[in-house]
Amino acid sequence: MLKLKHLVVSTCVGTLLAVCSTQLVAEETVTVLHNQQDQFIRDTWDEIRVDFEAQNPNITVQLDFMDDDAMKARLPTLLQSNAKPDLYWSFGGGNYRVRAEAGLLADITDKADRLRANIGSGAMSAFEVNGRLYGAPYRLAQVGFWYNKSLFEQAGVNADTIETWDDFLDAVSTLKEAGITPIAAGGAERWPLHFYWTYLAMRIGGQDLFQSILADEASFDNEHYVRAGEELRRLAELDPFQPGYRGMAYNEAAGVFGNGQAAIHLMGEWDIGVQTSESESGEGVSGDNLGYFNFPMVDGGMGDPSATLGGVDGWAFTSGNGSDAAVRWLEFFLAPEQQRKLAAAGIIIPVANGAAEAVEDPHMKQIAENIANSSWHQVFWDQALGADVGGVINDVSAELFAGEISPEEAVDRVQQAWDFR
Amino acid sequence: MKEMTDRRSVSASVARWGLLLLAALFVLLPFWMTTLGGFKSLGELRVSPLGLPRQWDATAYLDILTSSMTWQMMLNSVVITGFTVALVLIIASMLAFTFSHIRFAGKQYLYSYVILGMMFPGATAILPLFIKIRDIGLLDTYAGVILPQVAFGLAMSVLLFRTFFEQLPKELFEAALVDGCSYGRFFWTIVMPLSKPILATVGVFILVGSWNNYIFPLIMLNDQSVYPWPLGLMEFRGQYGSEWNRILAYITVTILPAVAFFLYAQKYIVAGLTGGAVKG
Amino acid sequence: MKSVDIALEAQRTSRLSAVKDWLYRHNTGGRLSTLLLFIPPALMVFTLLVILPIAESGVYSFYRWNGFTALSDSGRWVGWRNFQFILQDPVFHQAVWNTAKIVLISLLIQLPLAMMLALSIASKGSLNTLFRLVYFLPFILADVVAGLIWRFIYDGNFGLVAAFTQLFGMESFYPLADRDWAFNAILVVVVWKYFGYHMMIYIAGLQSVPNDLVEAARLDGASRLQIIFRIKLPLIMPAIRLSIFFSVIGALQFFEMAMPLVTSGGPSGSAHTIVTYLYEFGIVRSRIGFGSAVAVLLFVMCAIFAFIYQRFVMARNTA
Repeated sequence: MLKLKHLVVSTCVGTLLAVCSTQLVAEETVTVLHNQQDQFIRDTWDEIRVDFEAQNPNITVQLDFMDDDAMKARLPTLLQSNAKPDLYWSFGGGNYRVRAEAGLLADITDKADRLRANIGSGAMSAFEVNGRLYGAPYRLAQVGFWYNKSLFEQAGVNADTIETWDDFLDAVSTLKEAGITPIAAGGAERWPLHFYWTYLAMRIGGQDLFQSILADEASFDNEHYVRAGEELRRLAELDPFQPGYRGMAYNEAAGVFGNGQAAIHLMGEWDIGVQTSESESGEGVSGDNLGYFNFPMVDGGMGDPSATLGGVDGWAFTSGNGSDAAVRWLEFFLAPEQQRKLAAAGIIIPVANGAAEAVEDPHMKQIAENIANSSWHQVFWDQALGADVGGVINDVSAELFAGEISPEEAVDRVQQAWDFR
Repeated sequence: MKEMTDRRSVSASVARWGLLLLAALFVLLPFWMTTLGGFKSLGELRVSPLGLPRQWDATAYLDILTSSMTWQMMLNSVVITGFTVALVLIIASMLAFTFSHIRFAGKQYLYSYVILGMMFPGATAILPLFIKIRDIGLLDTYAGVILPQVAFGLAMSVLLFRTFFEQLPKELFEAALVDGCSYGRFFWTIVMPLSKPILATVGVFILVGSWNNYIFPLIMLNDQSVYPWPLGLMEFRGQYGSEWNRILAYITVTILPAVAFFLYAQKYIVAGLTGGAVKG
Repeated sequence: MKSVDIALEAQRTSRLSAVKDWLYRHNTGGRLSTLLLFIPPALMVFTLLVILPIAESGVYSFYRWNGFTALSDSGRWVGWRNFQFILQDPVFHQAVWNTAKIVLISLLIQLPLAMMLALSIASKGSLNTLFRLVYFLPFILADVVAGLIWRFIYDGNFGLVAAFTQLFGMESFYPLADRDWAFNAILVVVVWKYFGYHMMIYIAGLQSVPNDLVEAARLDGASRLQIIFRIKLPLIMPAIRLSIFFSVIGALQFFEMAMPLVTSGGPSGSAHTIVTYLYEFGIVRSRIGFGSAVAVLLFVMCAIFAFIYQRFVMARNTA
């Protein structure tokens, strides 16, 4: 508590000093590019922006939205142009690393003292490349199964009994027999499908295997990852997704789940908001009706079932744009006070020191605990392994579901891309 | 005997009309659905994409027409297209004139070299082009889109101009030279005024291509304030996901200028877009 | 010493006057200055922005390079590996096949349809003019607009396809989400947008067929079909060649229409064409070297087509 008070005081003093010193500086605009669909979250961010601008009259913050799919396609050219924002939404991981090493990001290591003081070093390390800092984390994310309790009840499925992958497959069949579409999936964008394959690979292969692959001491082409493909095929054979899932983007699939047209959605906790805003009623699967369970263990798997797949998501500074004003905005935005506010609103699992206690939403609380107790929190593979290898993993996951390639071909292609990276 | 041919011609004419009407339906149905869709609510659109709106709701249209972004993007398109057309007309006609009226060594090779460009779509060059435009600092500028559009419009334009110039009466040229008129003056004061039809043809050809172009702006522009309308349209679609009533309204708004222009200048458009090429 | 100087000087002046003389002779009517003024602008733009980039693609194609920094900094020479990779990639095979499908659908469906329509409405008349306008209308739309309109039509929840399946009480159907249907669905849009264009080319050709030739044939007792196949079609061969040329070039650069219809090449990349494949890997996945290798292959295909077209199609015309 003492520490917290100290922090608050120092933040205030710092802000005061900053306010005084910027009186002399001309008007500055900080542009921030994000892919946040959820209006409620955007509104909350906007409140923080207003607060910030009130305290920093010389700085204007502009929050720009671009939809996720367009942003992914645009970033490679955007980051090389002068129209780039000061800050953009970024995952930690391979893409971030490649961009930092290519000089597309701004090194803010020397300005990061306050950020470092506020944010846990574990999360912070996801934004370090070779000891230098180019951004900072904003939230933790975990991917898991969201489900619609009344649909489960209707089919007579009890989510609490799902402990293994076999249990899960049984539940899917039962839902199917009850005439309910078991799972929603945004197959057009492919990444929502790669969660299945990579989670299975984590559960079956375990952390050591993955680490040795990263160190080039083992290969993606191994029996465990082949089995991940086989287990995925068992699910695919149940034909679990909504019709036309291969043509639907993530947000459309979230709408399907939010409308109650499918019972399950494998997604990060941000889906709580997105499935709400994308549903036709605007209510989504809400309150007590929304349930959550972790990705189950797989019989005979070597992976620790507590391991989590998710993200350490945050903001990156684009090259030439690590200005004091931009850093100050991020300091403010990521300060414990704001993080607590966002956590209390059920928007994020915070990364700032001491903010975790503010999480109230039971789902968010559970996920925060999952990540805290996780023996291995792995960043989404398509982000962690870089755009090209990640792209191949997304491709093969979609093709595995469609039954167009064998599990052996899938690992072959991933390894080929990895060798060629 | 006569009766039989009559019957045959009747059935032939039924078949002909059937084909014509079917083709017209195939073409027009999407336009019908698009334009009316913008007046429907999302719920109605889902159950009746084809019928007339039960309640005409112009909100989607009004939102778009009152948004300054819409007009900004139209203006950007006008600027980009205007400069592209003007530049192509000037430099392509000049080059074509040297091919048609001035004798110089290596002319045939130079002509083949330029015409070669007709064979190669912009996509073959898009990646190096991006790097080049980036390195000279023209990303996010009108010029960054105009220059590639001009470059890839040249080959066809030079071909059309040359063909036209060569059909100009030879006597005109000889008389001018005898009078001591220079090539330059001959080109500007005699050839150009006679070339209005070809200027219109090439102009329309380049105009439509540039107005509708998507790939160059997609790669060269990231700043919304310089987006031409096709980027704006795709951006809008990204924003509104599956709110199809809004998207259909936006589509309708963007195609109106094209349709109006088409009805106004159809003769030149048909000539320009069919390459002005079909003459016997 | 001095005499050498004088000799040199004389040589210099005579060379100078020779140059002047040459200039004068060659610059009658400002010929030389006109050439120097009229050729460079177009030639430079064309060389710098068309030819040079194509050549650079050739260089980049041998590197593994993301393009973020200079080639000499971050490019890694990989020899033919990019090409090996592409040529082994089933998605690329599919992209080439899809490109070929556009050509085939043009030759087998679109152009015959355009010809049939052209033959029935080539003659003057206000009703015919109206039909012509209608058929030509889709062509003036941007490709992205055509794609987006049909994206709606194909939407299994909203569009025409949805209305159809509802009407017959069928399960909803999503053509663009189906690996076997996605590209065929795109082909329908191609025909929709372009048949009127080809029809217009044919009409322009048909209108230049001399009427007395047709009349004379009719008086000689030629049937309608005979007139079409013996007189009209041979006479409008230039128009047919032109429309084939545009079909193939259009297929080779097919890109913009696909963008709103499918995401990253559709289900399993089944709806990729060569250029969407190039865009996906070159730009979206930041692999300039790999994408350039695709561009080189595209270039080779264009060159082969140009050669065949020159050699066989154009040659037959003069024969």
